[in-house]
Amino acid sequence: MRRLRFRSLAVSSLALVAVAAQAGSRPRYGGVARIALQHKVMSLDPLADEEYPATRDRISSLLFETLAVLDSRGVARPRLASWWSADATKRRWQFRLRLANFQDGTALTASDVIASLSKANGAWKYSAADRETVTIESPVPVVHMPELLALEKFAILKRSQDGTLIGTGPYKLGEWQPGDHASLSANDDYWGGRAFPDAVEFQMNASLKEQFLARQLDPFAAAELSIDQLHMVEQSNQSVLLSQPSDLLVLVFLQPDSSSAARAGRRNLDPALRQALSLAVNRTAISNAILQRKARPASALLPQWLTGFEFLIPGGTDLERARQLRNSIAAQAMPPPITLAYDFSDPVAKSTAERIAVDAREAGITLQPYGESHVNTRGARASVNADVVLLRLPLASVEPTVALAQRAEVLGLFPESSAALAAARPEDLFEVERRMLADFRIIPVAHLSQAVWLSYAVHNWIQDAAGGWNLDQLWLEGAH
Amino acid sequence: MKNASCTPDMLKTAFTQFLGIILVLSPSLWGQQRDANATTAGTEFAQEILSRVSGLPSLAVTFQNLSSMPPEMQESAQNAVFTGLKNAGIRLLPAETAAGEIQIAFSEDWKEYLWIANIKSPSGARMLTKKVARLQPSTVPSTQVLVLHKAVLWQQDGPILDFYREAQNMVLLEPDQISVYANDGGQWRLRQTLAITHPRPWPRDLRGRLLVNGLQINAFMPGTMCSGSLAPPALDCRASDDPWLVDQGTLTAFFSATRNFFTGVLAGQNAGASVPPFFSGATWPGPGQKQWLFAGTDGRARLFENDLAQPAALFNGWGSTLAVIHSGCGPGWQLLVSAPRDAIRADTIQAVEIAGHEALPASSAIDFSGTVTALWTSGKNADVVNGIMQSPGKERYEAFTLSVTCGQ
Repeated sequence: MRRLRFRSLAVSSLALVAVAAQAGSRPRYGGVARIALQHKVMSLDPLADEEYPATRDRISSLLFETLAVLDSRGVARPRLASWWSADATKRRWQFRLRLANFQDGTALTASDVIASLSKANGAWKYSAADRETVTIESPVPVVHMPELLALEKFAILKRSQDGTLIGTGPYKLGEWQPGDHASLSANDDYWGGRAFPDAVEFQMNASLKEQFLARQLDPFAAAELSIDQLHMVEQSNQSVLLSQPSDLLVLVFLQPDSSSAARAGRRNLDPALRQALSLAVNRTAISNAILQRKARPASALLPQWLTGFEFLIPGGTDLERARQLRNSIAAQAMPPPITLAYDFSDPVAKSTAERIAVDAREAGITLQPYGESHVNTRGARASVNADVVLLRLPLASVEPTVALAQRAEVLGLFPESSAALAAARPEDLFEVERRMLADFRIIPVAHLSQAVWLSYAVHNWIQDAAGGWNLDQLWLEGAH
Repeated sequence: MKNASCTPDMLKTAFTQFLGIILVLSPSLWGQQRDANATTAGTEFAQEILSRVSGLPSLAVTFQNLSSMPPEMQESAQNAVFTGLKNAGIRLLPAETAAGEIQIAFSEDWKEYLWIANIKSPSGARMLTKKVARLQPSTVPSTQVLVLHKAVLWQQDGPILDFYREAQNMVLLEPDQISVYANDGGQWRLRQTLAITHPRPWPRDLRGRLLVNGLQINAFMPGTMCSGSLAPPALDCRASDDPWLVDQGTLTAFFSATRNFFTGVLAGQNAGASVPPFFSGATWPGPGQKQWLFAGTDGRARLFENDLAQPAALFNGWGSTLAVIHSGCGPGWQLLVSAPRDAIRADTIQAVEIAGHEALPASSAIDFSGTVTALWTSGKNADVVNGIMQSPGKERYEAFTLSVTCGQ
């Protein structure tokens, strides 16, 4: 919780970090917060299959609200729900709603909540005791249901027949150009009080060339930075926030079990070859050199700072063992070249993939990296013509069970997702994670920090440990 | 249905704690408490380990510290584990000769320590974990000429906007109610709550002013005024733009109905005058002239002398919350001023004196663990300032008083 200048750039401490202007004070109303985003967002629907869902959530969370929200310590706090309780099995949860209105003026009711949640999870059963009470019954225990429902995909919104989405959030959607920009204006009737800025404008896929040259962020209040852009502001005493290393760079072998995958000629590679590749990857070199020490070597799906037990999963480089494994396979038949697809719009992914190919070659494994335009959604990956993809997975939550469940779901591992949500103790969650990694279809590479460059006019910009933004109390210096 | 539950009216605790500027624990006491906690946790961990290794006569135990746990705490934990195992009759032997092996790692996540025991026995391997809270050290500030004393009166989960307290009654102004507590043998018991009705959602950074005179209560909120009595309990709220009392004396001003600041239009004795919009203000008798100070919404504090036409001085770099206090020390009056912080960075309050057109520090700054959201001059002789602090993360609010004593 302290202001960081780039001179002393550091991974944000444990909870949250804010950057403030020179003369911070009581919040000011007014002003327009212009925010530059790295990626394009094509839909604001929290349930849409989006290439960059974390970017989408940065916008949609200002429009649509969830029943609960996580505070700076990762504890679930009331948002649209004012109260909740669970039975002893953690399968039956009851939520009491607060008085709130949608942006079209209609009141939030239990049936609205049920309509939203049932679209997000059809496996749960829902009932409404009255207009303000919703009961959720899950077939399996969900130990941290409020934390799970704090995910943006469980946002409560109304879907009108023309496709318009109506939320209860502190901002209303004004102008929306998919893939280009979104303009949001303050909701004067918001139940939590009108937001301080008059508007928030998001510019997607924004070029920061002029800002880097001028060494000032105007006209933006904030801008996402990729790791390879950090050096552009490194020497000029700028305010930059780094999250904990939370995004996961991971190699995922694609399963040859769907018809589209079969059409794409996908093969089931020898598990020993996958293990050999895992042993060949020099995670430390990738974290320190390619990712400029803004990352930590990853041996598990969740980082050590979040769980405390990543160190139990081995992830060191062992070239000798990798060569032995590769040679034992070669004794039967020459291992085939492995094709590796990465997000071609991400320079960091390209550099990392190329480095992995070099490491693989050291172990006698031929790896051919190439850029793909769409690898981030499960739908897109189904038709990717590659053996393995390099993905960058955001950390969806600072609650470890929810975070692992989400990563399992993104990777199509639904039983493991349910098992993670049912984990009541750290050792239970560790066991789920260990199982997911056991067959080397998933090879963690690095946990990577997220960076945001902030103007000195910005106050109360809260970035949680996982890199998520909470702009609820944002205000701008100089606004009147 | 029990277990995981959360309500907005969570536990409210009351205590009277006179702090001065000495904070909770000295470093050595803190270290002792930390190590005692480690001993307790280590003993519990040993018991949990024993429940999983029953029947084994001997064990090899190794430790590894992967956390920020200091060596003294690690030693306390290790000793407690060793003692627990020995007291249960387990012999501690090298790995080659022991019947089982336990590898204990002191790890941590972002919230707490995580102790992990990897238990290897002839029946297989299993893992056991224990979460142990981190104890945070406190800081001890230094002193200067005047000494600021802070007394915490009340803490609760949920906002407090203003408060009134005397020996038998305590009244809290909250966003949607006024809570009245009675002193019951040293314990504050909730006697009644009086609902505050308002037609529109409150603005962000909600502010309010509570005035209690005998049994009469008046509460000023943005665009709303409530009047009533403590006995019989009654409260009537109505839309109103009546001016608020800014300090304990004569300064009254109009407050914006939809924002968090005074519009700058003054009332009462200064009716007809206006100053730039401000967050807080004060007036006091200066040497032969009246003085006003306003913390403006533009980040500047403006000093006025004799009249309100033109500021006599501007001060930058102050926070937006200030109040005047009559200490009798030095010139007699000081201003308590918050630091230029926001809702995330912890606040400080310092006494300053106006000499000529300069503001001079008169005390060392008191550190707060959160943001000071209100300071209102109080007491019969304006010798106390009531304050509200909001903890980081919004969960907890604290009502406190500040007073000043003269230095040596």
